[in-house]
Amino acid sequence: MRRVAALVAVVLLVTGCGSLPETHHRPGTGHEVATGAPAAGAPHAEITISGGKVTPPSGWLEVKRGQTVTLTVTSDVADELHVHGFDIARELEPGKAAGISFEADMTGVFQVETHESKLVLIQLAVT
Amino acid sequence: MTGVLAHGVGSRSDLPIPLFYAYAGAFAALVVSFLALGLLWADSRFSGDRAGRALPWRPPARAARVITALLALYTLGWLLLAPAEDNAAPYLIYVVFWVGLVPASLLFGPVWRLANPFRLLPDRPRRALPERLGYWPAAAGLTAFTWMELVSPEPAATATLLIFLLLYGTATAAGTLTYGHAWLDKGDPFEVYSTLVGHLSPLGRRADGTLVVRSPFNGLDAIAPAPGLVATVCVLLGSTGYDGFSGAPFWVDALQTGPLGRAGLGTVGLLTAIGGVALLYTACLWAAGLIGGTRGLTPRFAHSLVPIAIGYLVAHYFSLFVIEGQRAAILALGLASEVNADVVGAGTIAAVQVLAIVTGHVLGVVAAHDRSVRLLEPARAVAGQIPLFVLMVCYTIGGLTLLFAA
Repeated sequence: MRRVAALVAVVLLVTGCGSLPETHHRPGTGHEVATGAPAAGAPHAEITISGGKVTPPSGWLEVKRGQTVTLTVTSDVADELHVHGFDIARELEPGKAAGISFEADMTGVFQVETHESKLVLIQLAVT
Repeated sequence: MTGVLAHGVGSRSDLPIPLFYAYAGAFAALVVSFLALGLLWADSRFSGDRAGRALPWRPPARAARVITALLALYTLGWLLLAPAEDNAAPYLIYVVFWVGLVPASLLFGPVWRLANPFRLLPDRPRRALPERLGYWPAAAGLTAFTWMELVSPEPAATATLLIFLLLYGTATAAGTLTYGHAWLDKGDPFEVYSTLVGHLSPLGRRADGTLVVRSPFNGLDAIAPAPGLVATVCVLLGSTGYDGFSGAPFWVDALQTGPLGRAGLGTVGLLTAIGGVALLYTACLWAAGLIGGTRGLTPRFAHSLVPIAIGYLVAHYFSLFVIEGQRAAILALGLASEVNADVVGAGTIAAVQVLAIVTGHVLGVVAAHDRSVRLLEPARAVAGQIPLFVLMVCYTIGGLTLLFAA
């Protein structure tokens, strides 16, 4: 009987210390992703950098392997945009929207970053 | 330009594991814990340092140390002479050396002790190593290295690596010249890291230097408690845990918008992760001592966290090792080939991650069980183990949650 009570106590403690969150796995329940004018369901994000702040806040963009990702980035200062893993770089001119588009042909999580200000703009989760 | 990410080097991180994998792993860990509690032996079976079959062979230590000294000079040459673009040194340091020490030590035992170039210095202690110093220098050194890897603004920059190597080299040389090779046993962070991981290898080294083949359980049991050992293991576990959530969107956002700045908040996060792991350990061991009617348990269960820490390390670095390891070879040897990022698929990575965490948990539970029945009062040994299982299940489910959510 004492052992049973102990086991129950352990289970309670365990469930208490490890609840598994549901975000990231169900599109729409996770972090906000800017969706401007996506071309028929293609992953797309529009990001603005102003005064060292990223809008919308750095989140995840869910991408299926093989899809074409389109990113539109506007920065208030000159900088360089870099998509890790795919090794795509693009100059950012102050106040001018820069668009990049590429096929996501690798799986994993990849950061999209600015080189000078070292801001993570968004992370691409390619499944 | 090759990207710099949470792991010091590397341009990708792992996708979250599927929900099913997370639950399957958590379920397996729970079942094993309960079975161990009820069914495992009632008298201690492990004999630690005395166990194993002695091998009549002495590895050529001097040759190994000369070779690693040359490889270290080669890496230093990359840092000092080659341009930052496509420099092999960060890959050699973070991937081949730091991550590679884990599989090398798991297979061949305490390899860095064998190959540590600082052991080429004479073993002429001017003073005896103070007993209470123990593993504390290694804990500090490992914290510094993981801070550089996970928090510093430019982990792969030449300047960062040179500063670290200069500080590490000076401290280690000074320690060795003052305290002899005893300093390297417990004070050199990389030797301690490799030796702790190596305790899980079938190839072991007894305290008297004999090479033995032994069960990994006896290897773990042979880890002798010393001051700072708990801290060292908590640094390994906590820093790897921090690595797990440092890529989570909420944390990335907090790092770049928070008032402390990236390095400031990152430092707080890393130290909190290490402190949290240590606090949980201390609290559970205190409870186990209270229930089991034994005092002074805290330093004597640190060995059971070693496999859990190794499970975390394998789960977090497996894909980095197989993918960025290729880049290390390509850059260092000037090969013409390209990195094949598809060498392991997302499914394989997830399976390896969950298996590593759950295996580490099982080994930790068995190691803690054997130590419990030896140290706790027999009538209270089962009840006294409950806080230990709670501790391990928390680490395991925490580890799976990190893989799932971050």
